[in-house]
Amino acid sequence: MDEKLSECVRGIPRLDNDQDRGGGEITRQTNETSIPRNETWRELLVLLAAQKYKKFMEQELIKIKNDASSLIIAAEHEAELNAIKLDFTGRSGKLTQLVKEVKNIPEDRRPEIGKLANEILRSVEELIVSRAQELTGRKRAQLRKMVFDTTRPGIKPHIGHLHTMSQVLRDVVDVFKTLGFQAADGPEIETDHYNFEVLNIPQDHPSRDTQQTLYLDTRGSHATPGEIILRTQTSAMQGRIMEKAKPPLRVIVPGKNFRYEQVDASHSFEFWQVEGFLVDRDVALTDLFGTIDYVLRKLMDKRIKIKFATTNFPFVEPGVDTYIECTVCGGKGCSFCKMSGWSEIMPAGMIHPNVLKAVGYDPQKISGFAFAIGLSRLVTLTYQMDDLRLLTNPDLRILEQF
Amino acid sequence: MIAPLSWLKEYVDINLKPKELGDRLTEVGLGCEKIVEKNGDIIFELEITPNRPDLLSIIGVAREIAAIESKKVKYPKAKTDINVKPKKVLPLKIETNSAINPRFTGIIIEGINVKESPTWLWKRLESIGQRPINNIVDITNYVMFELGNPLHVFDYDKIKGNIMRVHKTKGGEKFKSVDEISYHLPASAVVISDADDIIDLCGIKGGYNSGIFENTKSILIRVPVEVPNLIRRASQALGLRSEASSIFERRVNSGGTIDALQRAVDLVLELAGGEIASSLIDIKKEDFIPWRLELNNERLNKILGIEIKETEVISLLERVSLSPKASRGIIQTTIPTYRNDLKIEEDLIEEVARFYGYNNFPKTMPAGAIPTGAIPYFKDFRLEEKIKSVLTGAGFSEVYSYSLVSEKNLSELEIDSEKVLRVDNPVSLEFEYLRPTLKIGLLAAVKQNKSYFDKIELFELGKVYLGKNVDNAKEAYFLSGISNVKSYYEVKGVLERLLAELGSNYDLSKSIELTEEGIIFELNLSDILKNIGMKKKFVPVPKYPPVIEDLSIEIEPKIKYGEIVNVIAVQSKLFNKVELLDEYGNKKTFRITYLSRDRNLTSEDIEPIREKITAALKKSFKAEPA
Repeated sequence: MDEKLSECVRGIPRLDNDQDRGGGEITRQTNETSIPRNETWRELLVLLAAQKYKKFMEQELIKIKNDASSLIIAAEHEAELNAIKLDFTGRSGKLTQLVKEVKNIPEDRRPEIGKLANEILRSVEELIVSRAQELTGRKRAQLRKMVFDTTRPGIKPHIGHLHTMSQVLRDVVDVFKTLGFQAADGPEIETDHYNFEVLNIPQDHPSRDTQQTLYLDTRGSHATPGEIILRTQTSAMQGRIMEKAKPPLRVIVPGKNFRYEQVDASHSFEFWQVEGFLVDRDVALTDLFGTIDYVLRKLMDKRIKIKFATTNFPFVEPGVDTYIECTVCGGKGCSFCKMSGWSEIMPAGMIHPNVLKAVGYDPQKISGFAFAIGLSRLVTLTYQMDDLRLLTNPDLRILEQF
Repeated sequence: MIAPLSWLKEYVDINLKPKELGDRLTEVGLGCEKIVEKNGDIIFELEITPNRPDLLSIIGVAREIAAIESKKVKYPKAKTDINVKPKKVLPLKIETNSAINPRFTGIIIEGINVKESPTWLWKRLESIGQRPINNIVDITNYVMFELGNPLHVFDYDKIKGNIMRVHKTKGGEKFKSVDEISYHLPASAVVISDADDIIDLCGIKGGYNSGIFENTKSILIRVPVEVPNLIRRASQALGLRSEASSIFERRVNSGGTIDALQRAVDLVLELAGGEIASSLIDIKKEDFIPWRLELNNERLNKILGIEIKETEVISLLERVSLSPKASRGIIQTTIPTYRNDLKIEEDLIEEVARFYGYNNFPKTMPAGAIPTGAIPYFKDFRLEEKIKSVLTGAGFSEVYSYSLVSEKNLSELEIDSEKVLRVDNPVSLEFEYLRPTLKIGLLAAVKQNKSYFDKIELFELGKVYLGKNVDNAKEAYFLSGISNVKSYYEVKGVLERLLAELGSNYDLSKSIELTEEGIIFELNLSDILKNIGMKKKFVPVPKYPPVIEDLSIEIEPKIKYGEIVNVIAVQSKLFNKVELLDEYGNKKTFRITYLSRDRNLTSEDIEPIREKITAALKKSFKAEPA
């Protein structure tokens, strides 16, 4: 027991009144800087109260420590432990609050209580940390014990599949972007003018036979029959773009075309092409060969076999046809490549001077090349599909493969 | 074009093996589609481009092989002198007009004997898939396939009034062809009439009434040059194609009529006997002689991208018989009349390139600057990719369906086909109309998949075709999808996320509908993309925690979520967001979030707002706290 306090108590005669008042003054009194000795009852009572308060604090601290300890030891989860931590040692935790009270204790008793409070705080905190480590250790041990059947398939998220056409088209657009080609898009309902006339294919030109046309019903309109068609080639966009823009141009036009053709494994009345053209000063045939070679190897495989052949389209001169070794049969010959081992993939050529003239360019100064990738065919060859009709078949058993 | 190796070898020595020869022919432009062995011969099946009617003949193919092999072509030798003054002249008056018949070459032979062709001749015709008929008809076919100039033989004795009048039809005239099929002729077809009747549909088919039969004794052989457009139109109008018409409509070798006639006369005299009974007929306005074409060697190198020396250019052009002569960088060539395709300098450049060998060229990349300006019709494919990645991420798989649909497809969706764009000449009634919606393809796709899959989620991004007729036809990109997995609000949520990605405030209220196959949505993507804002900007994370409060009210169910939220949102600046937690009968529970960016909110801040909201909901909708 405190020496000074017991000294006081010994010299004080008994007196029973005024207790209430003294008790009521506790808080205020303890705030004073010094407590005088052996003076009045009132003062004595104050001292007694202080003594009592100190005792109370001690008891409270120990009680909280015990409460906290039992809770911490019983905690089974990290979250539980975090809650306990917040509850006791958090900013407004029970223990934290009590530690704050220490400053209300008379100065001469404060170090003793302060020391006790800090010890308890530290020990609770240590206990929390060690329990946390224990829990982590136990959890790790548990995880280590868990065994999964690695042969069992995982549970897949429900994600849809992008169509093969879109996947290949994305690659095509990307590859051409690296060469500075911008993509354009134009009408499928086209005029005879852009689809044929501008491209050096006048009325009655025999090459029109190779592109049997679907004509739109012009009844009830101002158009003359035969004037409005479904475009047979994306090349129709050459005139539309060139007549509105000056060289240099590097353009690709992916899009759908239509022809009067019966559907079979390698033909359809609807098919996709990616038209492309480059016009500038001094564009040469070797640039066309180089571009085609680069693009096809990027798109398909570095090692594919490519060969070029002469062909004729009225809007190019010289005309080029591009074949790649059939990927369906590896060049052995199959029904898809008509047993030839090669598949025609990319007709091309140097833009015909008549086309350049038709769009207002001077063929003596400007030259260019144009090509059309058979996109539908490129897709089938990329995935070794043996039938163009697979591209319009919505069977999820096909779609989900890609 | 079918070309037997044995026949080709009559005109050119061939060293290459068939497979190599086929590859080389393909490289120079005669797409070799097939090489087959038949009756001990090798048959090449070649795809001839429309600009090369000369290659629809064995001699034409032989000339290309000669160029490949650097050999000379051996032309058939003339045996008879067709210019000789005949002992006897049979009368024939010819009225023609160079505008519709640029050249009329012919001769009359008398005293022939019509019979079966000798074995070599009918075998040869059979080897190219032609049916032998009799020696005279077979000779005309043989000469056409050999030399590329079609010819026709008339029974001279059946030409009434000894007159041949070349003229255009008025339309509606009757004509019976040599194979006994009757036609009503279109207008502007070129025909030959005798004193009574039409005896020939020029360039397409001969008439029955002047045909060669067993009793034919005298013949007129006619080797014409026809006008390509006139032949083409008549042949298209009648739906009647012949080997001859294919050659004429692509432009025949106008300088080759005499050679063809010579060959035919030689064969007739040899195989059917008889004697020439007229002088050589050759009615023409112009001479049809070879023409000149210049090639600038510098320009050639510029366009091809390689340096080919003048001497090499000359040797390549010699191989295709263009008689090149160089002087000061310019190469002067003479174009044989069978090469109608050679009209401009670029055509000569192709001649050089194709025999130099396309596969011998180096490969270069275009050297010019990369254009940076905006192009007309520009399309940003990244937008489509973004849209598709949101949809696939949400579980939808992509389909591509046909743009062309049937009337039945339309009526099933209660669309009036009268108001839909239509193809005049559809490949079949299945594909007659231009789709005005993508739903047709999606509904069909669900039906097709139903037997294998329970959960089906599909989308398509593609063009639809709007407008009643071609005057107001408009193409638009639509985005449609169908799901039999998601709820209405889940589908709506996907689309809301999509629109948020695009920065669009497109109204979805009419875009989603319920069908028996699932929830279907359709957006006019072209419209959406006109007004988007993809630029995103960082908003700092709030420093102070939000206050979240649930509010339950009793309210008439018909009052819409949007109306309620609009009232709640305007009651305080601290309002941050609201969501509908629960809804049952008259009761709705909202979770409201309040947020301040500059201080901690307390219950004293929220209390008055709550009261304000309750009061406002009461005033607007007679809603009561529940």
